[in-house]
Amino acid sequence: MTHLGPIRAAALALGLTLAVAAGFLWLGGFDPIAAGAAMMRGAFGSSNAILSITMVRSVPLILTGLAVALAFRAGIWNIGAEGQLYAGAVASVWVGLVCDALPWFLLLPLVLGSAALAGALWSAIPALMRVRLGIGEVITTILMNFVGIYLAAFMVVGPLQEARGVFNQTDQIAEAARLPLLMPGTRLHVGFLLALMLGAAMWAMFRWTHIGFEIRAVGVAPNAARIAGMIKGNRVVVITFLASGAIAGLAGGVEVAGVTFALYEGLSPGWGYTAIAVALLGGLHPIAVLGTGLLFGAIEAGAAEMQRTAGIPASWVTAVEALVILSVLVVDQLRRRSHA
Amino acid sequence: MPEAVALVAFLEASVRLGVPLALAAMGEAVTERSGVINIGLEGSVIAGALGGAMGAMALGGAWGGILVGGTAGAFVALVFAAFAIGLGTDQIITGTAITLAGLGFTGAIYQVRFGTTGAVLSVPTLAPAEIPLLSEVPVVGSALFAQAPTAYLAYVFAPALWYFLYRTQWGLELRAVGEAPDAAAAAGGRVRWTRFWATIFGGAMAGIAGAHLVVAHAGTFTENMSAGRGFIAIAVVVLGRWNPVLVLFAALFFGAANALQFQGQALGLDAPYQLFLALPYLLTLAALAGWVGRSRAPAALATAWPKRAGG
Amino acid sequence: MSQVLARLDGIVRRFGRVTALDGADLEVRAGEVHAVLGENGAGKSTLLSILGGLQAADSGTLSLRGASVTLRSPRNAWAHGIGLVHQHFMLVPRLSVLENLALGGQAPSRGWRLPLREIADRATDLMARIGLSVALDAVIEDLSVGDRQRVEILKALLREPSILILDEPTAVLSPPEVEGLSALLRGLARDGRAVILVSHKLDEVLAVSDHVTVLREGRTVLSAPRSEVDATSLTRAMVGVALSAGTRPGGRPASDGEIVASFRAVHAAGPSGHTALAGVSLDLRRGEIVGVAGVEGNGQRELALILAGRAEPSSGDVDLPHGTGFIPQDRTSEGLALDFDLSENVALAAHRDAEFRSSGLLKWDEIRARAEHLRTEFAVRATDTSVHARTLSGGNQQRLVIGRELPVAKDLLVAHNPTRGLDVAATDFVHGRILGTVGAGPEGPAVVLISTDLDEVLALSDRLFVIVRGRLSEVPLGQRTREGVGALMLGSVP
Repeated sequence: MTHLGPIRAAALALGLTLAVAAGFLWLGGFDPIAAGAAMMRGAFGSSNAILSITMVRSVPLILTGLAVALAFRAGIWNIGAEGQLYAGAVASVWVGLVCDALPWFLLLPLVLGSAALAGALWSAIPALMRVRLGIGEVITTILMNFVGIYLAAFMVVGPLQEARGVFNQTDQIAEAARLPLLMPGTRLHVGFLLALMLGAAMWAMFRWTHIGFEIRAVGVAPNAARIAGMIKGNRVVVITFLASGAIAGLAGGVEVAGVTFALYEGLSPGWGYTAIAVALLGGLHPIAVLGTGLLFGAIEAGAAEMQRTAGIPASWVTAVEALVILSVLVVDQLRRRSHA
Repeated sequence: MPEAVALVAFLEASVRLGVPLALAAMGEAVTERSGVINIGLEGSVIAGALGGAMGAMALGGAWGGILVGGTAGAFVALVFAAFAIGLGTDQIITGTAITLAGLGFTGAIYQVRFGTTGAVLSVPTLAPAEIPLLSEVPVVGSALFAQAPTAYLAYVFAPALWYFLYRTQWGLELRAVGEAPDAAAAAGGRVRWTRFWATIFGGAMAGIAGAHLVVAHAGTFTENMSAGRGFIAIAVVVLGRWNPVLVLFAALFFGAANALQFQGQALGLDAPYQLFLALPYLLTLAALAGWVGRSRAPAALATAWPKRAGG
Repeated sequence: MSQVLARLDGIVRRFGRVTALDGADLEVRAGEVHAVLGENGAGKSTLLSILGGLQAADSGTLSLRGASVTLRSPRNAWAHGIGLVHQHFMLVPRLSVLENLALGGQAPSRGWRLPLREIADRATDLMARIGLSVALDAVIEDLSVGDRQRVEILKALLREPSILILDEPTAVLSPPEVEGLSALLRGLARDGRAVILVSHKLDEVLAVSDHVTVLREGRTVLSAPRSEVDATSLTRAMVGVALSAGTRPGGRPASDGEIVASFRAVHAAGPSGHTALAGVSLDLRRGEIVGVAGVEGNGQRELALILAGRAEPSSGDVDLPHGTGFIPQDRTSEGLALDFDLSENVALAAHRDAEFRSSGLLKWDEIRARAEHLRTEFAVRATDTSVHARTLSGGNQQRLVIGRELPVAKDLLVAHNPTRGLDVAATDFVHGRILGTVGAGPEGPAVVLISTDLDEVLALSDRLFVIVRGRLSEVPLGQRTREGVGALMLGSVP
């Protein structure tokens, strides 16, 4: 069998997804070609579509995708990016509202830092339950997602509700707490650059640093890593789990400081789950995750247009994400068999 | 005696909210005993709900909804099994994808079939059925025995599944497959066959739970109405230590935590609704941490078989 | 002559590029204990798993009682009256003995009924008949290795096999337990069964068997009645040419090197919380090899991990050096990361080596250079250092582990079953390297060799200990024979 490299594998998975998705659309009585055209138009149809929709939507997907990739690389099943993102969003709004008197060069780092810290704290509970009590993180991170979602829902009707007390959302955070725009006249904010830099930094960490190598070793061969004496206790697991939570929390903070400026129920349409598809399609490689995050940003941007002009339900995007994951799994099995 | 009335109402709500969890979790307990963790259970629940609504309307009766819902749940589990057991893909990632697929496809099918406006369907419902004598026992009687008939399904399944797991040859083989698949195979057990059917069974039970949400609770279908019950059922399995009878009690405990949200106002507790919504999840986390400790899952849980060749 | 129960002719079996069996023959008769002898890797286990229905032959024929058959599964093999007792026990650890006996054992009554009572009755009868005893309600994971083996044999016998195959049954037993097993096997053969005993231990084979078949490199090279063979002829058949064992030049004076590590009253708990080490005291000096013999599961793993600094004792004082090399028991899961390449596997140990790190960064150039050095110096057969460890053979994997650990072992080398599963050449290599480390005398490290292979520790050790239920006792010089050590391994006072 021919050797299947990571890029060809991803392309194959994507092709498989598109074929199956088109088949289902056709079965549902839609025109797959019209749907595809609508999607392309929505995602890439104009410079506005590219800069203000696709790229802006990709930011939380890249960040949560990186969070998931980092955790999965270390063999940590962090399905909790969604809850960590909400925790980060709540913290950043809170800081952005309370500390509104600070100058931007203090306030902005504080807003983003508190988001990361909140995400890390949110992941600390499953992390500690795993290393101290031996309870698998899959269930606990999922449970924490619900707690995070309801926490945000409570905040916007409770302590952080907007001043008039009418709408279920918070007031807008101070100007100084907002991320500057990357290009004037668009909605593309500095958060995009931040996501790219974080991806590059993670790549460099895996490649050159000792901690990055430890994370990879723990993920690939936990026993050998322990016996080689690399890890004192569960240090690497805890550090990686918290870092993953921090990045997911940062995604929430960046979304608040760059796009919404406020918190409301349903801030995230499930980015924390989509992130799993983003990370897997990128082969858990930080640089590749930048690309797959952009791709999913485009899919989400195109979905709105698809619904508007082709009448295809928005839930369709969730199904497509599932198809991506399943395609990656199938292609991955093919690769394994071709190597064997 | 308003307190007594409130207590009866609370118990009744606890059972009512606990039953769908119990059904799904007992099925998942059997699945996990065979060494498969089906995180895609949520997908089976939501498919069961949509199947339940469409089945009840098409067949003109609530039991038709239960039947179609169970079948839909089993079908979703079949897709999961084809990947995770057939191809040997990672169970957790596959399960996550199956959940997304379930939510996405049911939403899309619902919108295609009933329009995007979110029309309220009128689905034939199951009326509560009182069991003579038992339902007249003070306090617990009406809470336990004046429920929708699907609740009685849960009461019957708990001891029946316990008997199956611990007192039959098939049950023994299923447990062996989940503990030590190599040993089970060497003893002539059919590992993938057993896991396959255990997974399908779990999906069918989750589908029935989803249909129950429609025909015994809501009387309609809404997108995402499973609201994480599949995930909670998986936590309930851990709480119930993989034992169907304990799982039933764990599900009722969770139902009680859920029922607090309705009783909060009645009891004069002045906390926002959203906090009560989060409470069951927090209680489950606390119960996992405090009570379960290092309770032991089936040894081969979430591992593929046969193992990937290596070395 | 008695009836031929099974006949295998010209069996060939390949695994990828490796030929495990290359035309092997075997003929087994009723009423005999038939030993199948051969070095590690000679194809014994493969041949018998074909007879047990676990694997299929690529070519060759199998006939049972004169009729040609194809066995598709273990279940299929039992139906033909063939029972296989595996080298690695196939028991479900968390089920009871009785449940394990019931598992799949009752082919006709599959389904709802679980006839636990009938199985208990039959098992009790059978145990009385053959003089074997295990508690039926005990949970497997609480049983000793010897008891587990008895359960395996019982499980096989409940199916009333006419052929009983035991794959290396004595590997995990202490010498007196071996004698008990031998008596059991003789009794089973007298009953009219054929008992096939797979082994690579000459003296056992000579003691118990009626007929011997020797395999070498996948072929049958000898098949003869016990009366026609002796140790010399069997050795020649097994090895081809006489080999000189890589033994320690005897009569060395006790090392007077510096003490590099010491244990005082060390206690430790095992994975399930039981006492694994119960008061171990030990001093290790530079330039000596300290052997630790014992039946598996007597605390060796905990001793190795604590000596290597990978686990903490629950009480007692340990004084350990900094430069410790560790060759763990399981090279595929503990020694190496199979999905890492050679360089990355070398880097696994780099945290201990300051020269491979600078301020949080790994010096990949130096690590790659070390890996390349290992590849040539230790003859790890790989085209370059970017080859994944998974693709290496067992011997080459072990060379990689040893090559990585030796440079680190400046003060202490801990080796746990370092030659398990290796062929003769790889074993010789490992022994040579271990002897080489102490060649430096008082400047070299101390070596602790923990092994269940009695011959290995007898041959290599300067001082020899036996570990029984977490306690060490030193073997006096005059008692350093298989028999003497065997008695100590059972905890009896000489």
